[in-house]
Amino acid sequence: MAKGYVVEPDVGFVRDLQELGGDTLKKCYQCATCSVVCPISPDDKPFPRKEMIWAQWGLKDKLIGNPDIWLCHNCNDCSAYCPRGAKPGEVLAAARNYSFQYYAWPKFLGKALANKKSLPWLFAIPAAIFLFLIFMAYGKTSAEPGKIVFSKFLPVLYVDAVFIPTALFAIVAFVIGLKKFLTEMNGGTMPPVGGILKSLKNVLPVILKHDKFKECTENKDRYYGHLGILYGFLGLFVVTNLVFVMMDIFHMEDPFSLLNPVKILANLSALALIGGLAVVLYNRWKTRETSGLGTYYDWLFLLVLLGVALTGIFSELMRLAGIGALAYLCYYLHLICIFFLFAYAPFSKFAHLAYRTTAMAYADYVGRELPVEEGESEGSSSEEEGSKE
Amino acid sequence: MAEEKKMPSGTNSVLVVGGGISGLTAAVEAAEVGYEVFIVEKNPYLGGRVAQMTKYFPKLCPPYCGLEINFRRIKDNNRIRFFTCAEVENVSGQRGDYDVTIRLNPRYVNENCTSCGECVKVCPVERDNDFNFGMDKNKAIYLPHEMSFPMRYVIDMDACLGEECGKCVAACKYDAIELGMTSSTFNLKVASIIWATGWEPYDASKIDNLGFGQYPNVITNMMMERLASVNGPTQGKILRPSDQKEVNSIAFVQCAGSRDENHLPYCSYICCMASLKQATYVREQYPDAEIYVFYIDLRTPGRYEKFLKNVEADEKVTFIKGKVAKVTEDPETGNITVEAEDAVSGRKVQKTVEMVVLATGMVPSAANITLPEEIKVDESGFIVNGLKDGGMFAVGCAKKPVDVVSCVEDSTGAALKAIQTMVRR
Repeated sequence: MAKGYVVEPDVGFVRDLQELGGDTLKKCYQCATCSVVCPISPDDKPFPRKEMIWAQWGLKDKLIGNPDIWLCHNCNDCSAYCPRGAKPGEVLAAARNYSFQYYAWPKFLGKALANKKSLPWLFAIPAAIFLFLIFMAYGKTSAEPGKIVFSKFLPVLYVDAVFIPTALFAIVAFVIGLKKFLTEMNGGTMPPVGGILKSLKNVLPVILKHDKFKECTENKDRYYGHLGILYGFLGLFVVTNLVFVMMDIFHMEDPFSLLNPVKILANLSALALIGGLAVVLYNRWKTRETSGLGTYYDWLFLLVLLGVALTGIFSELMRLAGIGALAYLCYYLHLICIFFLFAYAPFSKFAHLAYRTTAMAYADYVGRELPVEEGESEGSSSEEEGSKE
Repeated sequence: MAEEKKMPSGTNSVLVVGGGISGLTAAVEAAEVGYEVFIVEKNPYLGGRVAQMTKYFPKLCPPYCGLEINFRRIKDNNRIRFFTCAEVENVSGQRGDYDVTIRLNPRYVNENCTSCGECVKVCPVERDNDFNFGMDKNKAIYLPHEMSFPMRYVIDMDACLGEECGKCVAACKYDAIELGMTSSTFNLKVASIIWATGWEPYDASKIDNLGFGQYPNVITNMMMERLASVNGPTQGKILRPSDQKEVNSIAFVQCAGSRDENHLPYCSYICCMASLKQATYVREQYPDAEIYVFYIDLRTPGRYEKFLKNVEADEKVTFIKGKVAKVTEDPETGNITVEAEDAVSGRKVQKTVEMVVLATGMVPSAANITLPEEIKVDESGFIVNGLKDGGMFAVGCAKKPVDVVSCVEDSTGAALKAIQTMVRR
């Protein structure tokens, strides 16, 4: 009561949150059970009780410019113990979903990713681009008869021509979004990048070791699920870059032998990704009563990831089986999925990688004390963020 | 009253199911205006939950006082007959003409009993004293409590060794003990039935984050009433269960399982006042004791607000707005740490205290018994029948969670409804 604060409720924002997966938010009666049962909530200004009242009152600035909605790892212990079925875990997820739109640049893509109706044309763009390129490349190169070679179907140069600009676009969009995010969290001014990067070094081991997920009690299996997805994804990401170097710079010919270390890494990563996804999807189903089935954002992201993994695996299997038509079709679909994943990364749930990492780094930077302290940072490369494509 | 004569014979009477404060009041009110009343009580004594209380709020007077007045009125009124150890087994018929089958469970002690207590001296087995929520033991043959009405012993056959032992039979000079007693049934014709089935404390061990059943020094509000009672397990000293130490600090956990869709979705109405009352008597007995009350909202309806103001004025009573959601024990000391977020300051609060009292709510007893088809219950098991539904009505806590004063008022109203079913035909 010391300093006056004029509450300016944004009713539209409340409605948006309800539509983005927070439909239960009005049920909260502020008992604060959630803040206490949350295994990763700090002692000072714990979440998610305060976020629930901000959400109810439509205090958009407070909620969206708040690193705490990202410190939440959606364990859903809060939702399981909530006496009112207000599902704080889902409300915070809705606030994060809102953030994807709010910080999105360009705005129209943020809106498109939030809207089920836009889904066909979001897929149609890469489908058309790759169809056009395949048409352009047709007849220019061809594999030896009886052999299936993807780079003869669509030469690497054509693929690069799409993905290098896509990556640059995603990086730019991420940088703009994150800059706005950091500015809002910091109360209107951009915090020094050096300080944030230093903090990033502190939080990276926490992220890579999944310490926060390990603390979840309600949703233990998700630790393995998310771990599988993250490392599967990182493995495939490394593979993609290695292949880029091998083929574009050293002009090595595909396909690579199954015993090639890069190929082994690729296959293991794909399996980790699929295994992780299976755990997460099963878990969503299992906890649907207490925690809800998840939002459109969740499902879109999970299914696109699954699409990337499955089309990749099937391209390989069909190639090994010698079924050309199916192998090339799967490869085409694979390219569409990858495009979807990366081109729309800053506006989809993929962006949580960047926003959560940034929020955790910011929390570390401002000295927000969290229950589990990391002993020492192992200082791996500090540029690991979603923007690194 | 001319219509009265048209009624079929034997239906000028009322059955009251439950002999707690609501049932007793309804029975006495109906009988004192001239109707025949039967009371059926499951326990071996009358008085129900009120018999277990040590003090009433807000006057802090002894509840047994009111029960004794009612017992006196029952004794003096030959229109009331009561049956203890009895249950309603079946109800048939309709408004104005019910045929009720009553089962009398064996007490194993007959009317010859003078409560001399010789039987207890020789009884070799002990049982958990359920009247005191298992905080002490009594013998397999026992008086439910010092002031029991009727003042007669009873045998717990689950604990009793039976005929082979028979020591109590030998010790009894009055031939009062019949170990071979069996249950029997009889039928009553009544015009109306008042369901005064009352409530059970919610099973606090179902609340897995509040430590009840895991840590001995986490007790319930009803256990606290027994601890504070002069005829309780500690003769009125508030000694914590783990080491019988007099408590110097207590945390009250409000809404323990109440207003919670995982447990009881409703507010039990009395728990805030009960905790405030308990805080006053703890403070009176132990002037140095520190009290912490953790709450979501303090609900002190109507004039009870004044009671709250008085307790708030006590500087040793601290109120924290935040529900306790985590409870841990220090195994060395037996002390309990409760954790909540203080929603006013926005900080988590941890308080280590010597004993924790969970303010658990009421479960309608009717939820755990088979009811006649005519009875309508809501989703929690509270009875909702009204005049238009027939000749059965619920009173007091069978209808909704309320305090004693509301039960008594409600019971007078129910007595009138029961009479209306007889005269308005």
